[in-house]
Amino acid sequence: MPRFVTYGAYALFMAAILLLPLVVDDPFWLNRFAKYGVFGMLGIAVALSWGYAGILNLGQGLFFGIGAYAIAMSLKLASPTSLAQGSDTPVPDFMLWNAEPGAQTDLCCINSGSFLWIPFQSEWFGMLMGIVLPVIVAGILGTVVFRKRVAGVFVSIITLALVLLVRLLIIDAQPVTNGFNGLTDLGWLTIGGFEFDPYLTETYYLIAVSLCVVLIGTRILVETRAGLILQAIRDDENRARYLGFDVPAYQIFFFAVSALIAGFAGMLYVVVAEFASPTFMDLTFSITMVVWAAVGGRSSILGACIGAILINTIEASISETEAFVEAWKAIIGLLFVLVVLFLPRGIAGLAKDGIGALLGRRKTPSPVAAAKEVTE
Amino acid sequence: MVDTLFIGLSIGSILLLVALGLTITYGAMGVINMAHGEMVMIGAYVTVLSGIYLGANLLVAMPLAFLVAGAIGWGIEWLLVRRLYGRLIDTLLATWGIAILLQQAVRLELGLSFFGIHIDGLGPGLQNVDVPAFLRGTIPMLGTEINAYRSFIILVTLLLTAMTWFIMYRTSIGMQVRAVMRNRNMAAACGIDVKRVNALTFAYGSALAGVAGVMMAGFKTVFPDMGASMVIDGFMVVVVGGVGSLFGAVAASGILGEINGLVAAATNDILARAVVFGTVIVVIVLMPKGLFSFKGR
Repeated sequence: MPRFVTYGAYALFMAAILLLPLVVDDPFWLNRFAKYGVFGMLGIAVALSWGYAGILNLGQGLFFGIGAYAIAMSLKLASPTSLAQGSDTPVPDFMLWNAEPGAQTDLCCINSGSFLWIPFQSEWFGMLMGIVLPVIVAGILGTVVFRKRVAGVFVSIITLALVLLVRLLIIDAQPVTNGFNGLTDLGWLTIGGFEFDPYLTETYYLIAVSLCVVLIGTRILVETRAGLILQAIRDDENRARYLGFDVPAYQIFFFAVSALIAGFAGMLYVVVAEFASPTFMDLTFSITMVVWAAVGGRSSILGACIGAILINTIEASISETEAFVEAWKAIIGLLFVLVVLFLPRGIAGLAKDGIGALLGRRKTPSPVAAAKEVTE
Repeated sequence: MVDTLFIGLSIGSILLLVALGLTITYGAMGVINMAHGEMVMIGAYVTVLSGIYLGANLLVAMPLAFLVAGAIGWGIEWLLVRRLYGRLIDTLLATWGIAILLQQAVRLELGLSFFGIHIDGLGPGLQNVDVPAFLRGTIPMLGTEINAYRSFIILVTLLLTAMTWFIMYRTSIGMQVRAVMRNRNMAAACGIDVKRVNALTFAYGSALAGVAGVMMAGFKTVFPDMGASMVIDGFMVVVVGGVGSLFGAVAASGILGEINGLVAAATNDILARAVVFGTVIVVIVLMPKGLFSFKGR
């Protein structure tokens, strides 16, 4: 595939994302597309760790959830109801519902865990945590897992167990996190005096520009030397090790980058969807992200991103009719089986073959695929 | 204390019931079957349907569920899994798609709900199964009263484990399965029909899940999504116990069940599950091969 075709596809996609408000002026749909843009970012995160690092993370929702909760805590404190609880500093309403009689209405001591909320009165702190916490968690997890040379499906099971573990802890910590109900009734993100009302075109642009930045950034990252070494590790970990590369260091770094993207996406999702809930850490959501990436093309950053946006757009237009909501799930299930069976490289693979044929080139199988065919 | 330990044992036996089928399919075939929980769900629905249409109780539903789930498992292997051998992660993804399809098939009453036809016992709602009279109430044991149905589950689990052990270690087909487990190519070179062994293993693993579903139906509400969380529990047991190790699965389910029971007694159910997940993570990190695993060749 010539470079210019790949870059052309990127340029085309970004132009479409940025010019969308010219075509769609219904704020409701613009808000929806902003959400799908966030999901596109998740597709990128999955493609980076699955397609490029060979790490199937079944707990990507953990990082998304951490990012979402971090910013949601700040926005919760900024909401009018939190400010109107009759105290000098804002206090989330759910803390008062559960407060013991006689407890002081203040974040310091309304319950034993509420002091954790104090720094989140600053939105900047919430935003910082939404980025830093996922990276720290991914760094620690990655260090433990990859230094121990845990590999393949065991990494998937560990990430899966971890996201379910954190989800349970959040549900259990009801007084601090509002448990199963999550954080709702949030204020708007305010930067430099501008309020990001989720239904404004400006908010759509916040998402769209972020998506483009993440897309370009990830693309540049995988084309650096480190990115190439990462792909070498994916293809043959032991060979890379014998060549003298510090294999775990690369894996940890890209695992953390993928977590960063997911955490960032979580924050943006809260800005447009105005809630954070433990469902972000459901197993279903984490696997759904993998489905998007698989359908779009697991080893293509742009493909996974488009896959996420496409599936969600189709789902939204089909689900308008009540009867089709359940049928749509069955279609997704079937689609997924078919993609895994017949189209392992997803839409991106199909597009590459198609463009290759148009340019009159013979389809050349990748060396890995060819090697696989031989061993099988 | 005795009743806490007993509750742990009964949680463990349910875990084992679900994990028993997984440990052979994953161990022997290298297939991560995410639809395993749906086999449990199908077993539960067989119980519901046989109660409605045949007036049968749990005991009759057991062999029925064994056959139905086994047949569906065989079908899945034939249609899908056999095309994916050697692609571990892809089996996980594809069987997850199958899991959704099965859930939706039950929820949409096999698609008939689109035509306004309703099948009693299927559909999105919750179903309940009555436990036969002789399994209700409690029986006195070791100074406390223990739940009769929970003891029945433990008994059934013991029987199924014994049966699986017998098949695996005392029959010719079991020996073939173990041979395939150790070294697929070598087994094939020795004249074992690996495809046939795979199909049988997958069907048997699914059939066991079907029986597990019958037992679940006795004390849990039956609904289309009920299997989704079970497959996770099952995998935890298999991975902690050591892939392909029957003894490991028994030990791991006992350990995880008791941890769950003890922590739940001290704090609450949510934290107990969290502690179980934490234990699993620690075990995988420290012993990636599980507590009891054979040396691979």
